Amino acid sequence: MKSKKASSFHEFARNTSDAWDIGDDEDEDFTSSSSSLQTLNSKVAKATAAQVLENHSKMRVKPERAQPALSEMPTNCKVNKSSSEAQLSRISEETCMRTPLQKQQSLPLRPVIPLVARISDQNASGAPPMTVREKTRLEKFRQLLSSHNTDLDELRKCSWPGVPREVRPVTWRLLSGYLPANMERRKLTLQRKREEYFGFIQQYYDSRNEEHHQDTYRQIHIDIPRTNPLIPLFQQPLVQEIFERILFIWAIRHPASGYVQGINDLVTPFFVVFLSEYVEEDVENFDVTNLSQDVLRSIEADSFWCMSKLLDGIQDNYTFAQPGIQKKVKALEELVSRIDEQVHNHFRKYEVEYLQFAFRWMNNLLMRELPLRCTIRLWDTYQSEPEGFSHFHLYVCAAFLIKWRKEILDEEDFQGLLMLLQNLPTIHWGNEEIGLLLAEAYRLKYMFADAPNHYRR
Amino acid sequence: MAGGEGPVSGVAESREHLFKVLVIGELGVGKTSIIKRYVHQLFSQHYRATIGVDFALKVINWDSKTLVRLQLWDIAGQERFGNMTRVYYKEAVGAFVVFDVTRGSTFEAVSKWKHDLDSKVLLPNGSPIPAVLLANKCDQKKDGSQNLSQMDQFCREGGFIGWFETSAKDNINIDEAARFLVENILANYKTFPNEENDVGKPKLDLDPLKAESKSQCC
Repeated sequence: MKSKKASSFHEFARNTSDAWDIGDDEDEDFTSSSSSLQTLNSKVAKATAAQVLENHSKMRVKPERAQPALSEMPTNCKVNKSSSEAQLSRISEETCMRTPLQKQQSLPLRPVIPLVARISDQNASGAPPMTVREKTRLEKFRQLLSSHNTDLDELRKCSWPGVPREVRPVTWRLLSGYLPANMERRKLTLQRKREEYFGFIQQYYDSRNEEHHQDTYRQIHIDIPRTNPLIPLFQQPLVQEIFERILFIWAIRHPASGYVQGINDLVTPFFVVFLSEYVEEDVENFDVTNLSQDVLRSIEADSFWCMSKLLDGIQDNYTFAQPGIQKKVKALEELVSRIDEQVHNHFRKYEVEYLQFAFRWMNNLLMRELPLRCTIRLWDTYQSEPEGFSHFHLYVCAAFLIKWRKEILDEEDFQGLLMLLQNLPTIHWGNEEIGLLLAEAYRLKYMFADAPNHYRR
Repeated sequence: MAGGEGPVSGVAESREHLFKVLVIGELGVGKTSIIKRYVHQLFSQHYRATIGVDFALKVINWDSKTLVRLQLWDIAGQERFGNMTRVYYKEAVGAFVVFDVTRGSTFEAVSKWKHDLDSKVLLPNGSPIPAVLLANKCDQKKDGSQNLSQMDQFCREGGFIGWFETSAKDNINIDEAARFLVENILANYKTFPNEENDVGKPKLDLDPLKAESKSQCC
């Protein structure tokens, strides 16, 4: 199995810095099978645990901060500290309900991340001061972003292993193709696009109560309060109204698909990332009435456009009969049958069909299976990878499935398997786990892109 | 009740059954809430929209010699997912069709769902699978009450074996509705006991004689 290709992957691994950080002290051999990924994982889990514990002890230390992103930041920008206890109990209740399989508790070394719903990644508030390496990376980003013409290829390369929180909003705008690479055109483009969006609102939003759009609006209206129901940010009326407008406008401008459940989730990462530009600490508890209307409008318009760009690439996921999803679920089955026959046969034995669990993985881009902070990190890569959302996601799903192979093989009936697969214990996941997942996905993609018959029996 | 007529005495030793039961209806009518209430005795305003299908298992000690496992398939309510239902309905032996008493349009959609069900899954003898209609969110009902005899008639004409006013929030009639459906499924089973043990995967329970029972309303 060790081949020239694999070793060039190895080189890639070395080049893409921090996705591999945690493996630095390992003899990283990503060319070997998933079982070694597992071993690596348990080592990593311990290392991570130790690291997080250490971070916890530094929790009170004010992290070194970058300048607030924009001058628009209101002076009365009050930041609500996470009022953890009430939320924690609510969350743990939900957890018990949703996951009868509390397998994550079998890792005693792993400390509890304070807020399960915590959005920001571990480089955000409460994290220790940046390492030299992180500083260098951030510097590199700043350099790229401030150059007259941002080198998008270079930006993608830098972003693949994760975008630093401080520069994520502007980087995402660039990577999604929303913002032009040319520095001078950016301001005007933003202004124009934001005006255009609010032009749509003016033109179409009143039609939500008319007969031909009523159904669409009603469905959106029902789904919004139950989008991220455990995160206080999304229970605020102002935020819910923003989501309704974004989704309604998108839906009526895309009649081939219209509003499909799941699309509501896809607004969330953009909204949170663009909001984070104005919020110092816990985004999930932030009261948006502290922001000026102009700022809120910018966040709304940017979220709309970036979500539109994303959906443009996966539109056949949501058109009639959802052919994109059908195709990808089949492809996943095919892929898994080649890379892990044992898991595949296990599913067949107990009559588990891929569609029964992977439909949601495709329809919601794994957002239902991962904490929001992980989705944000995942999207750093999806936006850096050619066809990230439409193609690379398939390999991520395969890697994700194989990650649980042991748990899967331990289940010996249909119900057990389905309930495991629909409640995978990722609640503690952070950047490290996503980094490993992406590494494995990349390995799979590499093998099958260049040698599609490599594993054919 | 529907189950009373079967030759119960024929079944001597203890039995285990696994029944696949569907829960269908328009989006936001409370399908997930009903299942969570029934299986976990919990209610929350905070369930996310179901995408595709969710699974739950309810184990019932039916009587001293009968154990029933209900495999509940919580099917997403949005029409866009409708073309998937054929895959999901396969081998189901019972169904709940749910609507929201506070939204008339969800009641109008009941017939559509029932038709979808009957056109995609049947018992081996060709009769429709037993379906119970649930009028959910009855705790929020505004006007007095639906006309009971009208609902009975609707059930008869629509081929439902019965209907219940339910509230997942206040835990009204959920257990009763489930018991009613299971009795019906079991009666089918006892009428024509399956030779194979049905544990391990959903097995159809045959029902040639009970086709008329669908006119029973509660």
